[in-house]
Amino acid sequence: MKEFKLAQPQNLAQVTSLPSDQRYFLMAGGTDLLDEIKNEIIDPGVVVDLKSIPDLAYIRSTDEKIRIGAMTRVSELAENSTIKTNYPVLHEAALSLATPQLQNVGTVGGNLCQRPRCWYYRDPQVECRKKGGSRCYAARGRNRYHAILGGGICHIVYPSDLAPALISLDAEATIATANGDRTVPLEEFYTLPRVDVRKENILKANEILKEVKIPPSKNEGKSTYVKLKERGTWDFALVSAAVCGIVSGNTFKDIKIVLGGVAPIPWRLEKAENLLKGNPVTDDVVKQAAKEALSDARPLKENAYKQDLAAIAVSRAVLSLV
Amino acid sequence: MAKKDHWENTQDPHLLYTEAARSEGLTTQDAPSTKEKPEFNIIGRDTLRIDGHKIVTGKAPFLNDIRLRGMLVGKTLRSPHPHAEIVSIDLSKAKSLPGVKAVIGLDREKAQYIGNRVAAVAAVDEQTAEKALKLIEVEYKPLPYVVSVEKSMEEGAPRVHDKKPNVEKIRDEKRGDVELGFKEADVVLERTYKTAIEIHHPAETHGSIAKWEGDRLIVWDSTQAIHNVRDGLARSLGIPAGRVTVIKRYMGAGFGSKLGLNAHTVIAAMLAKQTGRPVKITLTRKENSLCVGNRPTSLQTYKGGVKKDGTLTALSLTNYTTGGVNRGDRCSEPLLDVYRCPNLHVKEYTVYTNMGGSRATRAPGHVQGTFGLEGFLDELANEIGLDPLELREMNYTTKNRGDTGVPYSSKGLDKCYELGAEKIGWHRRNKTPGAGQGSTRRGLGMSSQIWWGAGVPGTLADVKLYPDGSVDVICGTQDIGCGTRTHMAVVAADTLGLQPKDITIKLGNSDYPWAPISGGSLTTPSVAPAVRDASLKAADHLKEMAAKKLKVSGEDISLQDKKLVDKNNPENAISFKELARDLRRETVFHGERKGMPDGFAYNTFGAHFVEVEVETETGQIKVLKVVAAHDSGQIINTKTAESQVIGGVTQGVSTALFEQRTVDDTTGTLVNPNWRDYKIATSMDIPEIIPIFVDVDDPHINILGTKGLGEPPRIPIAAAIGNAVYNAIGVHIRETPMTPDKVLQALRQKEAI
Repeated sequence: MKEFKLAQPQNLAQVTSLPSDQRYFLMAGGTDLLDEIKNEIIDPGVVVDLKSIPDLAYIRSTDEKIRIGAMTRVSELAENSTIKTNYPVLHEAALSLATPQLQNVGTVGGNLCQRPRCWYYRDPQVECRKKGGSRCYAARGRNRYHAILGGGICHIVYPSDLAPALISLDAEATIATANGDRTVPLEEFYTLPRVDVRKENILKANEILKEVKIPPSKNEGKSTYVKLKERGTWDFALVSAAVCGIVSGNTFKDIKIVLGGVAPIPWRLEKAENLLKGNPVTDDVVKQAAKEALSDARPLKENAYKQDLAAIAVSRAVLSLV
Repeated sequence: MAKKDHWENTQDPHLLYTEAARSEGLTTQDAPSTKEKPEFNIIGRDTLRIDGHKIVTGKAPFLNDIRLRGMLVGKTLRSPHPHAEIVSIDLSKAKSLPGVKAVIGLDREKAQYIGNRVAAVAAVDEQTAEKALKLIEVEYKPLPYVVSVEKSMEEGAPRVHDKKPNVEKIRDEKRGDVELGFKEADVVLERTYKTAIEIHHPAETHGSIAKWEGDRLIVWDSTQAIHNVRDGLARSLGIPAGRVTVIKRYMGAGFGSKLGLNAHTVIAAMLAKQTGRPVKITLTRKENSLCVGNRPTSLQTYKGGVKKDGTLTALSLTNYTTGGVNRGDRCSEPLLDVYRCPNLHVKEYTVYTNMGGSRATRAPGHVQGTFGLEGFLDELANEIGLDPLELREMNYTTKNRGDTGVPYSSKGLDKCYELGAEKIGWHRRNKTPGAGQGSTRRGLGMSSQIWWGAGVPGTLADVKLYPDGSVDVICGTQDIGCGTRTHMAVVAADTLGLQPKDITIKLGNSDYPWAPISGGSLTTPSVAPAVRDASLKAADHLKEMAAKKLKVSGEDISLQDKKLVDKNNPENAISFKELARDLRRETVFHGERKGMPDGFAYNTFGAHFVEVEVETETGQIKVLKVVAAHDSGQIINTKTAESQVIGGVTQGVSTALFEQRTVDDTTGTLVNPNWRDYKIATSMDIPEIIPIFVDVDDPHINILGTKGLGEPPRIPIAAAIGNAVYNAIGVHIRETPMTPDKVLQALRQKEAI
């Protein structure tokens, strides 16, 4: 473990005004960052502990939106009754995440900004592209847990369970900057390796994810999260599917499908959405749509099974809503 | 300076372990008496662990809880290269770091795997020690290496060891004529089974504290073998064994990885000597993954012939196994022993690679061999349309080496079959594998188990009586988490008419009377008979004393309810405590676990029956129920015996479904040296487990008729799961761990046929 300084800011302005030449890392729950520090994946310089900033942990319902503060613990999200009733996909995703112990410590913002779990990235001796090296070791290495879509120069999968769920709900991310807040659709928050291989999102230095906002749920709105994992708990998704839609009879008037565990970002399955929208849903229709939508997948040597799992996750999620 | 070759030898405790485990053929004139089985009051019943409360409330001191005045922290520098010549080591910068008290190079010319030790430091705290490691300058000259079995077997592959080839034959054994046997068969089948490398991963990682008092060395160690660690330390450091004391208090398991002396223990002793202060070395989870052992792989190809009625006519096995820089495991022992088959041929080869060396892992070889053999038997049974259980019963034996050797001293495998099948509802299985419909399919499977586990003759234990009526049982064994303290107390209390909590247990110190390693399922059948022997002697002594007081003959006295009672007149009695006063001074009775008569094979047996549910769409396997029937002779304490079975099954489920050491063939790196990526079963993955102990009398094995139980429940579980999956989906997953990708692939191959 490298030595670091600990900063305990009292407000967000102190964070957004940190000198840009300073190396620092933001810490929310710390379940990921401390691991990275201890294993010497990063040399933190300054650790900025966000727990010292008041009023970043909340779930507030307004007429228009549900607002979730970045420092809200995952367990609070999982237990919130409004979310449980109106946004099952988010409730289920929160409950499926890691373990109760980690849910008690991990935060929503931390979960959305966590670093990839690729075992090459997490090996301090491996200098991979994500760490400034010249190779993606997963491409020809051990890759059963890696990306089947969108990889290219770096085959990580984005490990968050909350991100696909929130994107399926059309959530927005509020980012605090030195020049005030800006808001983007959460879907646009994440970036592919080809944009900047060292990053997974659009946050710039001195910016911080402050809040996520979910639009009000619609009456006919239904949603669910299907997570396929190897063991019963404490496991990242092999593949997950967050599905949110407006259902009438067995037809989707609107539908959004977002996959986890298959790509470096939460992966929107628009092709399947278009194939399903407006058509009566049957087992065969869904499976066909999922299959077609996943035909762009480019599995590596050991992860072709994820293509099958993704199709199953989508069809299970979709069928459970009709 | 330590003699290096001694601790190199201890890196491979296979031999030690196997020899100890298979104590068959050890003879003595003092064969146990075959007189009528005694009546027990506490033995064979449920007794809560006498130390259970202390452990679960955090009061039991584990190695990391031990803090000595002035204690330093030791750390080891390890090779980042899979194979490299060590050109030079410069310790000077590390030595000059404030807080660093000693830095030593480990006199090594070559690193043979990532994690191989190169140098070590002792410093005032962990952070300083870690910093110091970074300041050690090592010049490596990387050498060609090989980490995959396939590549290691290729011609011209880089040599792992200078003095031996990468592939060595480790067994070639024949019985009868296999070719003839195949001709006699109605069906001949060939199948290949594969098992992954499993890492022991005890909850408590390895650790040692060394402290010198003048020329005496005291070591606290997390070990399964205090006496062996003591002897190994004495040899390595060139000091008399009598000046070394090894203490083991409470321990978070070992599973074989803590047998024998560890290099870090010697290093701690060297650093302590140099600094004049106690030194503690605790391995990290990563070190634990890299360099203190693993279960070798197997690649087992079986060819078997069977007649339509289920008679086995011939079986052959070719196995390739890798244990990294150490030897792999021979896994043909069950095949050579448990079923009747006149014609057999076994060939086993070890393949060396530049990876951390193997160590004995809970039932070494038997776990892998049972997965292959028992899976293959189910495939054979299916070929001839026979109930797999019937196939096993058809080829049942009462003598070892496939009915060609000596009789088993006892064998309750038939009872395990009967009770296990009844409890799981064996009739519910699919008569044809994969006969079920839909995408969620259930199936039943079973597997037999054989292991050694007779215990080691010559194990010693003392019973000490004090004039105040208190009782010690003293034995140089170690409780590695299995409940040894409790079973010792149970045996002494039962024999002396007391309760387990009345007995003070003293163990885990190499100055106490000798006991063997805790491994090989031999602790209970070694220690319990020795405690029984000492307790019987103490009881006889007390009976004679009581007889004089009560004016009857010693034979008429019984010890019960903390009293010595005239059997013919229960009113005529004296309390244990009152009688003890007449001892006037503490009195010690020596007990010994005696030898076993020649002419028998001493083995444990069992059968597991498993129900699973398989999702054919996702390839996920859910184990629903496990019935684990075991013949381990007289059970001493059903409570801890059941725990042992539950633990063995849990570990077996975990390795059947999840565990695999994953290595990048190109870089030689272990990619999952942690508990996130090396997946171990969670409580959510563990099914209902029903242990059954069959009632089998063994008058030959020892005075209690007890056999070991540490390994047996670990052995058949993966095979039984594999067979249940086969029964559910009609396709055999011939490789552990049986992960979703493999299940889906197997199903797809079946569809393609």
